[in-house]
Amino acid sequence: RQAETAFVPRRGGTGETWEPADAAAVPFLPPNASCWVPSLAPEDILYRGVLRRKLQAGKCEATLDFTKQLGHFFVDHPEDAFGSLGRLLHQNFHLGNSKLRRHARESTIRMTALREEIDRLEARRGCPQQHLVPRLRWFSHLSRDWLFEVPLGLLADCVHEDLLLQWASLFFDDSPTGGALAWLPPKDEGACMGRLVYPGGQAMNHLYFQDVVLEELPRARGSPAEFELNGRIRQVAAARADGEDFVGVRSDYHCGVWRVPARTGAAPTPLQVIRTSVPASCLTVSPHLPGELAVCTQSGAVYLWNVETGLQRLRHDPQTMFFRDHSPWHWSDFTAHPRVLSCADRTGLQCLDARAPGRCHFDLFKVGEEAGCQQGERVVLPMYLGRAYPSQHLVTTQFSMYVLDERLPLVPVLKWAHMMKAPPLFAHLTPGGPDGSHKVLLGSSRTQELLLLQYRGEKRGTGGGSRSACQLAGPPQKLHSIAGCLQHLPAQLPYRHRLLQQRLSAPAAGLAAALQQDGLQESLLVFQLSEAGDVFYQRLTHKAAPPPAPASGDEAAAAPGSSPLFDNPASSPPGLGSEGEEEQEEEEQTFYFPQPSPAAALRYRRWLKAISKGCGEPPRHTRPPTFGQKRLFTRKELEEPSAPSALHQQARQWLRQAMRDGGRIQCWDPPAPQPPALPQAPEPAGDPDPLSTRLTAAWSGDWEQWREERTSFNVAQRQRALRERRRRQKRAHGRRSLSASFTSSLTYQSELSELSDAAPPPLSP
Amino acid sequence: PSHEYKLNFKKSKEVCLSYIQDAMLQKQWKRAAEFLTFYIESLEKDFSTEYMGPSEMIWRIGTEILCHHSNSSMKEFNSFIEQMKTLGVKRYLKVCLEHAFHLLCNGLIDEAYQNLSLAESWRFGEQTIIQNKELKLIQAYRGLLDYYSWRKQKNILLEHGQDGFEDLSVEQEMHSCFRKAAVSLKEIIEIPGVWDLFVKCYVDLLEFYGDHNEARQVLNEYAYNSKFPANPNAHVYLYQFLKRHGESKKSLTSALKILHDIVPSHELMIDFNIMLQKSKKRKKRRLGLEVIFAALDYAGWKENVKAWSCLARQMKQIVMSEKHLDWIKQEWNSRKDWWPAFHFSRYLAKRNWQENESLSYEKALVAGILLGKDCKYFKYISHQGCKAQVKRFRILKKFVNKHSPVYLRISS
Repeated sequence: RQAETAFVPRRGGTGETWEPADAAAVPFLPPNASCWVPSLAPEDILYRGVLRRKLQAGKCEATLDFTKQLGHFFVDHPEDAFGSLGRLLHQNFHLGNSKLRRHARESTIRMTALREEIDRLEARRGCPQQHLVPRLRWFSHLSRDWLFEVPLGLLADCVHEDLLLQWASLFFDDSPTGGALAWLPPKDEGACMGRLVYPGGQAMNHLYFQDVVLEELPRARGSPAEFELNGRIRQVAAARADGEDFVGVRSDYHCGVWRVPARTGAAPTPLQVIRTSVPASCLTVSPHLPGELAVCTQSGAVYLWNVETGLQRLRHDPQTMFFRDHSPWHWSDFTAHPRVLSCADRTGLQCLDARAPGRCHFDLFKVGEEAGCQQGERVVLPMYLGRAYPSQHLVTTQFSMYVLDERLPLVPVLKWAHMMKAPPLFAHLTPGGPDGSHKVLLGSSRTQELLLLQYRGEKRGTGGGSRSACQLAGPPQKLHSIAGCLQHLPAQLPYRHRLLQQRLSAPAAGLAAALQQDGLQESLLVFQLSEAGDVFYQRLTHKAAPPPAPASGDEAAAAPGSSPLFDNPASSPPGLGSEGEEEQEEEEQTFYFPQPSPAAALRYRRWLKAISKGCGEPPRHTRPPTFGQKRLFTRKELEEPSAPSALHQQARQWLRQAMRDGGRIQCWDPPAPQPPALPQAPEPAGDPDPLSTRLTAAWSGDWEQWREERTSFNVAQRQRALRERRRRQKRAHGRRSLSASFTSSLTYQSELSELSDAAPPPLSP
Repeated sequence: PSHEYKLNFKKSKEVCLSYIQDAMLQKQWKRAAEFLTFYIESLEKDFSTEYMGPSEMIWRIGTEILCHHSNSSMKEFNSFIEQMKTLGVKRYLKVCLEHAFHLLCNGLIDEAYQNLSLAESWRFGEQTIIQNKELKLIQAYRGLLDYYSWRKQKNILLEHGQDGFEDLSVEQEMHSCFRKAAVSLKEIIEIPGVWDLFVKCYVDLLEFYGDHNEARQVLNEYAYNSKFPANPNAHVYLYQFLKRHGESKKSLTSALKILHDIVPSHELMIDFNIMLQKSKKRKKRRLGLEVIFAALDYAGWKENVKAWSCLARQMKQIVMSEKHLDWIKQEWNSRKDWWPAFHFSRYLAKRNWQENESLSYEKALVAGILLGKDCKYFKYISHQGCKAQVKRFRILKKFVNKHSPVYLRISS
């Protein structure tokens, strides 16, 4: 007799419960030692200023600041830009201040004025009333065709092209696809020592193999094995074949492979390096055969790379497979058959047989109707899910994730819209046991998003024939991002806070996970790497299956339209399931305002200390506007007049007085300015040391009183001094010039005004 | 100003949506529900031409929230869905279908059936034609439910039949179920697609009423029509059907041959190999060797004792008869550069010996023949086997030593 039919949902069924153990991601390693140069930001290449405002009003697209970039080139590489003509002309161009002699005038022209104009132009950058001086206009028209070393048109084309590329990569940079972080699990089931492989250093060109002990808290043991490489590390891929770990490392023009022997503590050995003439876009390591990798380049070449037998080219086709797409990105991964490779571009996936790559291939995934794709959908990252189920593959696009089976190509066995804000460039699979669900982590780069999905592959029923289909188990879960830990760090000074924020929200560069079995407690450690080279981790603990959710009965039957969902949970009538509900309520509460554990807080503090020590005073990226004297005034304007006028004399007097008083001059114009009242720093008065008395007073809390006393003391003292001076003046000088008396009276006035100020604003306590 | 208003409205809509998403991904269903009530305002000016408009978002998000929210009940779920149906006629049938799925997953078969029948009779001018695909699916699932009730009644009847008691009304109902199910199932499986479940049910119906020709035709069509996606299950169903009806070896072989061509790693390949090994024809035994070699190429078969014993048995036969050594040689030629590392490494020898002695025995035999007695795998296993004093390993060692010239002929 046949059993009763049961329907199982394709997604949303019950999955395992994995709960974050901490409030945020926690630093795992000390910060990447060197300072980090933040990657390109839109404002670096966008046009700022009048034109932009105009364009905004006209609802135009963003404008790239082409002239600025070109200008940078001329300033940074003058030798390359004008080298030979500069040498040719330097005899004929005079840049000095002196006048030209008569005989030189025939072959030399004076360019001083032109240079000054240029300097002035530079000083007025961003000024709305910026007009091009006729002299400059004239010169540029005259010299445009012959002055430049590289023809201007050609150079401009190149700069423009590069700007466009940079601009495009601001929106989506696919070079870190696959991620540059790898976890090499412990050799034996029970052991707790694994390895983390990650890049570091200022240019991210150092490769580290760090031993990691999985205990209560994972910690690094000993110092890492380090290798210096020849370029920025884009991707680190790892797989275990025949009991040994093989680690592939991709940078733009080089790919290398390391072997990590099975013995614990054995040093990793570099095996082989290949160089590509076009940037490589993919490197994957075979899980089947030791020392075998797949490499793709942006020119559309796919290679099977065996450390012993070398490279075998399987395909070379710069065109995309199924329809035209401009992206040169290609990817390749292994399949259930060790000789068959999957090969992907933005339009889909094909499988190629390495034994006869020309003839034997089939389409595995196509962006199109079969998979129910949206318009504009493109493949972002394919991954072989062999460790979960030998014939399954994961394909992510910017909108969805698909699970595909090689045996039934083109029709996805599972599809889910992930709704991530940026396309998932990193994926990691943690296979579950025979009954457990497989955990898939998806990570995006720019937004640092991290999602945990669980899925169950096809499982054979007991009856032999009956099987359950591939299904998504439980709702997907969002994990902490690195940037999220900012709020748990101790309070910082604003500029430090800003720098930290910048560092912590650097795009993600990799993702790895380790499954840790600690007695009955199972936990998943998720490591995240940022572009700045920092490695953070978070732990998820597996909660035993909760009792089946009690179906809340039809108490509180609501009229259609109004829903009791939003009622205060306290007011809901206690039912059978009230206990379970309350429990959930509590859990949700802990999600709202979580605090880091003391151990995590300690790690935060240590990390902060290290980062402030390691980087010292961080370089300022946005310098406050500075004005050089040269730019404000021309040489002529600065030239000393032959005889100082009365106004000059007077101004000088003011300046001197202001400097003496430590004050400032608010207004140069007559009527007589009133230098602002500044509290005079209390003069050191003999006994005891005024600073210590002041500090003592401040310490005991009656600083106010001390201040009052001090100022009253000052008033008395100064009044005394004034009287003394006037007496002396009267005595010594019978006759004085008008201006001098004016200044002195002014001094007197200013002093008076200072005294008459009721409450001087204390500037520096 | 109106433009700015529109922009701001759009922005706040997006922000709200991201809050909802955030809450859902952290399983804060209550918070998500609160935000969703705000998001409903976005329906006010829904001019979006995007792939998924707000009303569809609300439907999807609302469904998801109601599925997980601790306070939700089926009643609320139903009323929400009814509202969603009226909200968008453009996807009326899709909503109906999903609703029915939800009811089915919660065991509410009768309600689901009612819903499906109601949706089937929905008429809305052009919309009915546009949503034809969904309509077909709705009919098919209704047919599926008819099939299940048919099967239920069949079982009752069979039970009663044993008691020598007949119930006319049950029989009549059963037949009406059959008619309804057959019509709608037949309709859907004519459209190109993957309809495994529907095909199986339809064939079951036909077989019960003895319409074998029609059943065979349906299965043939499903397996061989080039408009359908290449579906290995179609060939499996055909093979199972043929086997059930005691068809000739020849037709079984040809069905499995095609399956082998599509999916060389299918589980049925062991049956296929056993069938071919028994054959008297040379060509078929040759094919059998090919099939088992091809299956063992796949990572999923690495530790399959059954497959390894099939291969070991056939190779032993060939070696003992000393005929057709060239078959082995040919198969080995394309594999000799990677099978040793893939199957016969020292690491695997250790592991196989620890984990599965029979597997290591079968593999050692194959390794001994293919790679000679000096091969790491064979050496390690035979040494361990002899040390553990297991008789069959001693025999194995003798066998390989005796036939060592074979290795030279294969590898030359």
